Amino acid sequence: MTTDTKNPAAGLTLKDLQTDNPRWCTACGDFGVLMGMKRFMVDKQISQVTTVNVSGIGCSGRTPNYINSYGAHTIHGRPITFATGLILTRPDLQVFIHSGDGDALSIGGNHLIHGINKNLNCVFLLYDNELYALTKNQTSPTTRIAHPTNTQPSGTMLEPLNAIRLVLGIGASFVASTADWMPDHLAKTLEAAYEHKGFSFVHISQRCPHFDPNNFAHKETNWFSFLTHEKGIAADKRIMDKTELTPHDPNDLEAAFKLAISPKRYFGLFYRNSSKPSYDQIMRDNVKNAKPKPRANILDKFGINDT
Amino acid sequence: MNKEKVSLSRFELLMDAGFGAQKAGDILIRAFAKTGRYVYIEPMIPAEISPPPRTHAALSGVIIRVGDFDITNIGNDTDLIISSHEICLERRLDDDENNRKCRVLLDMGNKVGNEDSYERVCKRIAKLGLSLFPFEIDEAAKAVIKSLGGKGENMYYLGMMSAIYNMPKEILVTEIKITFGKKLVGKILDDNLLLFNNGYDYAQKNVIFSYEVQGIEKARKDPILIDGNTSMSMGIIDAGIKLYSGYPITPASSIMHTLAKELPSFGGMVHQAEDEIAAIGTAVGSYFGGVPAVTCTSGPGLSLKQEFIGFASSAEIPIIVIDVQRSGPSTGMPTKTEQSDLPAAIFGNHGDNTKVVLSVSNVIDCFYAPQMARYLTEKLRLPVFILSDFLTANSYKIIEKPIVNQISDINNIPDFVFDRFHINRLPDNIEMVRDLQSIPGEEGKMRRVTGLNTDHEGKISYDAEVNQRAHRLRNEKIHHVRRALRLPEMFGPDHGEILVVGWGSNRGVIEETINMCKKEGIPASGMHLRIVYPLPLMLKEVFKKYKRIVTIELAYGDELKPPPLTALLRTETLVDVQALWCGATGRPFRPRALKHKIEDLLKQK
Repeated sequence: MTTDTKNPAAGLTLKDLQTDNPRWCTACGDFGVLMGMKRFMVDKQISQVTTVNVSGIGCSGRTPNYINSYGAHTIHGRPITFATGLILTRPDLQVFIHSGDGDALSIGGNHLIHGINKNLNCVFLLYDNELYALTKNQTSPTTRIAHPTNTQPSGTMLEPLNAIRLVLGIGASFVASTADWMPDHLAKTLEAAYEHKGFSFVHISQRCPHFDPNNFAHKETNWFSFLTHEKGIAADKRIMDKTELTPHDPNDLEAAFKLAISPKRYFGLFYRNSSKPSYDQIMRDNVKNAKPKPRANILDKFGINDT
Repeated sequence: MNKEKVSLSRFELLMDAGFGAQKAGDILIRAFAKTGRYVYIEPMIPAEISPPPRTHAALSGVIIRVGDFDITNIGNDTDLIISSHEICLERRLDDDENNRKCRVLLDMGNKVGNEDSYERVCKRIAKLGLSLFPFEIDEAAKAVIKSLGGKGENMYYLGMMSAIYNMPKEILVTEIKITFGKKLVGKILDDNLLLFNNGYDYAQKNVIFSYEVQGIEKARKDPILIDGNTSMSMGIIDAGIKLYSGYPITPASSIMHTLAKELPSFGGMVHQAEDEIAAIGTAVGSYFGGVPAVTCTSGPGLSLKQEFIGFASSAEIPIIVIDVQRSGPSTGMPTKTEQSDLPAAIFGNHGDNTKVVLSVSNVIDCFYAPQMARYLTEKLRLPVFILSDFLTANSYKIIEKPIVNQISDINNIPDFVFDRFHINRLPDNIEMVRDLQSIPGEEGKMRRVTGLNTDHEGKISYDAEVNQRAHRLRNEKIHHVRRALRLPEMFGPDHGEILVVGWGSNRGVIEETINMCKKEGIPASGMHLRIVYPLPLMLKEVFKKYKRIVTIELAYGDELKPPPLTALLRTETLVDVQALWCGATGRPFRPRALKHKIEDLLKQK
């Protein structure tokens, strides 16, 4: 715990967001996500005191503890539910949800469906390292087929669940993809996600060098491509020259589906629909439009004498 | 009609589901209330929406208790039953709640084609020694019922009941008009009034007996008619709670229905979550943001919420959980009452358990429990339960309108609310595991909460001493409540032969039974616990003043297994507390039967 005694007028710096050192493994992809998140906050001068990072359980669940703002490290699979309480009743706050592939797609799958369907105004970061790490190397919904883990030692049995296709199918209003080893792209992705009003789903390919060092050939660039468009997210400056760029209009849902099911991995903005209503806004409007009643009289209508 | 003047009567209307028995009952009890009587009404509701008619599962009806004194429970000893056919009557006779002189008015209109079945049930009535009064709805009324698509018998029976209880016709007609409102007017209203009138006239001419329940002379001040769940809903508004987050489950759902209509007008929201876990998660999230929130469920939903309850204890986030208990385990009997969730509430979550469990015994408790719960959860930053049950939730009562407190801050809750729950205010400064307890948006106080163990700065720690400290402080919060608890509500002498202890909805039965015992010189006393966990520290001393401590609770127990409250009292006091009456029948306890059990126990010296 640290306190924010600094003069807010001086501007937010990376140092202000500093907390105790993270307890992740050396070279963990979560460091990249954390750095991208902090850079985004500094770039956009996001107010620390009105930011709440909400997480579930897993390596990704620790992130709120490592950003000096408000935070809640909740229970496994349920960060969306907790965040919903804040999103509904505290629209003055900026809510970021940090969730892993096990947290979001397995134990918490139901909440992801409904968070997306309700289009709750928040940024959702899916830290997808394609396995359970904190519980020591088990198969997750996104583990690649045939990859051995402690629970499926002869090789993961099923094809991985395609998170991008899933959320497009649910009707997500914002779907983007990035990776932990490109903090510049990650920060830009979070910026676009933050500017979108609604449930901004950000898929992050995240390395787990401890349990799966061979996944994500992050030094190679031929297996992925950046999606580019004037309304999209700019390709990562450090890598863009070494990889293919794929023009894609983020308004085109059909094209987004095609990209999602392609064997190639794409980073960038798959889809954005700025006109989808948000449940939290509708709920607040309901309160605003309801005819106010005096609390003093709440029991009067049950009276039996004066009718 | 011969007129019997009585100070108390209990009667029942039995019909198939969907034919308006409860509506008829509601109209009649309003009329009773307006003419100075006390009433208590329990609806009998099937778990299904519209089970096939003329089956046991379809039984839907009302039990009404009316008298010249404040009635606190549904009692027993039914004096009169009106049944629309023999099948629902047969089902109800199984419950064995009628007076031995009970009069049974059976509609013979369904007899054609069901002769054998009618004969079987009529023989059973004769065997039980009850008086059978067969009747049939007149032809004119039958034609109207047919034109209404088969609905409307309830109004005919309402007419009969009104005549049998000597209620003035005009008062009933006024009530019917109020019930039908501005939308159901013209022919529909006229048809229903005709049915009511025909039933009334039929009974006046043909039923040889009638009752006149004595009323109180003075009209009561501001009487209201309200059921437990509606009262709880209004109490949530009065407590200043701004978010209700729930998932549909019987018998808790009607709180959500009421608040969905009302809460926005008081600046609050009703959130229907995707599941029980999401429902509590959102309530906890809201309270973390400083906005008071409640979640509400019933048994199976409580199981699903337990992980978040443990999290709220650990993270020190206030949360109010209302559990409207029903018969379990699992889906059990969704529309029957039980008190078996007590262990799940007190001990249900993983790890060490630190929470406060309130219970409600009547509709007035339901109104004030949310503010009591809000006080405790915000002071302690621990989960607080309100345990209601099907019976309390669905029973209606006429009460003097409770004082509305309009709470916005827990420091403004008046003393009488604390008195009601037999507790003193807690100390001003209660030590928390974490020194800083700010809400998002507060400058200079940023913090992160976690379900991991932390030290006083909120830093994650796996140190032995730090973990032990966190446990000690959470439990110390519960000890603050223990020390603040006053002597629970007592009935009868403060020492003697027998003390009957109960909690929640059993208060009325205990009170009425002990009053009965007092009149008959039976040496018995009663104790009722509104706060069930923790228990007050003086309990052991109080128990010492009686030769026997016995319990009543609507939960299973037998000679080898003490039911939950009994087990709790034994553990906490080391007194040989025995269950006098426990059971999972889905039906409430009955005062006269309880008195007999007390008498039997006194004989076993």
